Amino acid sequence: MVLEMLLKVFIFPGFLFMSAYSFLVEYLDRKIYARMQNRVGPPWYQPMADFFKLMGKSEIIPEDANPLMFRLLPLIALASVATAFTYIPIYGLKATSSFSGDIVIVLYFLTMVPLTSFLAGWYSRNAYATIGATRVLTQMFAYEVPLFMSILAPALIADTWSITEMAAYYAAHPMHALINIPALVVGIISIQCKLERAPFDTPEAETEIVSGVLVEYGGKLLAMFKLAVHCELVLVISFYSAIFLPFFTGIAWVDFILYFVKTLLTLFILVLMRATMARLEINSTVRFCWKYLSPVAFAQLIINIIAGGVL
Amino acid sequence: MSREEEIVKELCDRFPFLQDRIYVQKEKRIFTKELSKEEFEQVIAFVHDEMGFYRSHHVIGTDEGDNLGFLYIVSGSDNILLILREIAPKSNPVINSICKLYPSIVLHERELVDLFGAVVEGLPEGPSYPLPDNWPKGNYPMRKEWNPKYLNKDTMTYEPPQEKEAENE
Amino acid sequence: MSETDKNKVVIPIGPQHPSLDEPATFTITLEGEKVVNAVIGVGYNHRGLEKACESRTYIQDLYIIERVCGICSHAHSTAFCMAIEELTGVKVPMRAEYIRVIVAELERLHSHLLWLGTACHEIGYDTMFMYTWRDREKILDLMASYGGNRINYGVNTFGGVRREFDETTSSDIIKTIDELDEHLKRYMEIALTETTLVSRLKGVGMLSHEDALNFGAVGPVAKAAGIGYDIRVAEPYGAYKEIPVKLITDDRADVYGRTVVRILEMQESVKIIRYAIKNMPGGDIAVKVPRRIPAGEILTRVEAPRGENIHFVRSNGTDMPDRVRVKAPTEANWHGVQHMLKSGRLADVPITIAAIDPCYSCTDRAIVVNSGDNINVMDWKQLRQYSIDWYKKEGIDITALKL
Repeated sequence: MVLEMLLKVFIFPGFLFMSAYSFLVEYLDRKIYARMQNRVGPPWYQPMADFFKLMGKSEIIPEDANPLMFRLLPLIALASVATAFTYIPIYGLKATSSFSGDIVIVLYFLTMVPLTSFLAGWYSRNAYATIGATRVLTQMFAYEVPLFMSILAPALIADTWSITEMAAYYAAHPMHALINIPALVVGIISIQCKLERAPFDTPEAETEIVSGVLVEYGGKLLAMFKLAVHCELVLVISFYSAIFLPFFTGIAWVDFILYFVKTLLTLFILVLMRATMARLEINSTVRFCWKYLSPVAFAQLIINIIAGGVL
Repeated sequence: MSREEEIVKELCDRFPFLQDRIYVQKEKRIFTKELSKEEFEQVIAFVHDEMGFYRSHHVIGTDEGDNLGFLYIVSGSDNILLILREIAPKSNPVINSICKLYPSIVLHERELVDLFGAVVEGLPEGPSYPLPDNWPKGNYPMRKEWNPKYLNKDTMTYEPPQEKEAENE
Repeated sequence: MSETDKNKVVIPIGPQHPSLDEPATFTITLEGEKVVNAVIGVGYNHRGLEKACESRTYIQDLYIIERVCGICSHAHSTAFCMAIEELTGVKVPMRAEYIRVIVAELERLHSHLLWLGTACHEIGYDTMFMYTWRDREKILDLMASYGGNRINYGVNTFGGVRREFDETTSSDIIKTIDELDEHLKRYMEIALTETTLVSRLKGVGMLSHEDALNFGAVGPVAKAAGIGYDIRVAEPYGAYKEIPVKLITDDRADVYGRTVVRILEMQESVKIIRYAIKNMPGGDIAVKVPRRIPAGEILTRVEAPRGENIHFVRSNGTDMPDRVRVKAPTEANWHGVQHMLKSGRLADVPITIAAIDPCYSCTDRAIVVNSGDNINVMDWKQLRQYSIDWYKKEGIDITALKL
């Protein structure tokens, strides 16, 4: 029992699966992006090659930085993502672990990543990193509200705070998912914002502040951070597709294939957004999130409270 | 009478000392002969304020033997380039900055300071341009007597042969 | 540090920075995201070309002058050639003048495409960047097949041009610019409608009409501020005396206006090239110019892609010039940038700097492959084949790509 649990957490569908999938997702992300831009794009092993090459490089910690925090932060980021991943149903309808309220836990762990990158920027004691860190935090305040509201709205209809139960509810009533379409749109925009990808890549805008918070990172620590960021991508698209694309057959392996279809479809839309838009300024991002995304998400919340009562 | 000749006439009427010292070289080019610092300043202020020469293109430094020449190129809406030639002796190459009249001239005037050793009074504070910070003091590379052959790039010192050293000091 | 200075962060942009293509320092003082002060330091690239010109013959100088700028090399060499031709009183054959115009306009096209790409890259719009650079690559290929080199084509010589312009060249050019014309329409549409792009460019880096006049702005920066200052119109030279050139201006006075001006200028360039190829007269492409140039001084100006190029040549009757002075358009625009940066936001700094299209040197693409004792210099076709084969070995087949 313990062994099975350990296997589930660390091997499949836990950490190892997530890391492996993150390499695939990163490759597809870069490849599709490249093809949309009329470029060749990287070969399939490029993300792994990058990762192992970085792992072989020496660590350089800036003199002014706090060495303990500097080393610890990438691991915290990776650990939070890996923990959150265990609450998402991957193989079959049931997640590795689930309890009532795990949706809040996942949202909490999702917040950990920007927080660690903010601290990473802050502890680097570098002008670019500091500016990047403040941008990370500003952006976080912009997308948190619409993201949370759009994710909690489907939970109101399902009348549960557990992702597994929510998936089960929508598997039983697939038509109810149609009510959530506004939240689906708000959700995909706010996860793009959360993942800090164009047009919301202001915190790491390479032409303005080099690479923002990660500017002082290198070697193993950078590899860890990059892995955490790409695992976050996997986590977010899995989370998103579990909530908004609840199409299940009940047969575990078919659902597993469906999982790939759903997540990759989400990824494709994210890449499409990234390829077709220019980077927004931080104040336009905040304005956009508060002016357009939040009201829509709020309206969805009200609709779902009423719908939850009726259905 | 062409527009160029009109400009020449207007300037000559205003400044009698320009008589025979200003000429139309060809279409859209009016050159003056060498003007002293005082003469130049009167003319440039006049053409800027009253003749509508609002655009300054450039100032070209030249080495005229014992003197340094400065060719100021200005133009107005009719696109006629007026080239005013100011002159200052190498022994005391002091000129006044005209950046009050033409703000865009600052960079070019800084260049005169670095490359010709002109003393431009009235330049705003700012970094020097274009020579590096470790450039040997008192070396003005665009003067004719300066020869790049004698610059030691490793130590950044200028080492002319012995007999010329006296001249440089 | 005083009490009020504590909220301020000083960010050095440059001399090395990913958004800068050439070394320059911009010391930006920030209050939050707002820029309160900007100081520009330039001069890292001073190569002493003017001094070098004084100790070389005119024909050697031509090649130095061509290397003043990596992008507008033709504009610089045209201005220099015009100066020498005027000093000697040589009349350049009209056919050569037409060829110069075609090359100049192709150069304007590739320079503006390059600008459009980098500008989009600065605001994080990499897709546009890739598309425009793909188109630019085709123009560079044309240049390589006509002039023998991608950037410093060496087309100009005193008294004319060095290479005959044959049928295949003109049909290649027509084919490429027809294609480009279609793409330009699309880019214009994107520039006018893509919301994120417009929101990043509108109202950024304002340089009003008065300020542009005051700071002596030239080229697209001035044209976007409503100043119709284009040497091709103001003082037509060469074949521009016969070819109609439409003056492009805009009154937006911001980076967006500069973008629109550049795209429209590219469309105008396409028209000029078509007209020039259609109406190109026959005859010689060059006349002989003496080695010794009569004494005199001459000031020529040419409209480079970035604005006005001024060349001053003073000859003392020998085969070496007494003084050569080159004024590149970027020099005139630095003052404006300093003004534009103030009161902007940090996010706008790279695009504001990029908006004047600061000039930088491109590396030449001639390659020497050194294998043991054999040193062989590759020509253009071999080099191209070599790169295709190299990528094939790596598992990437570029030829299979449909562009």
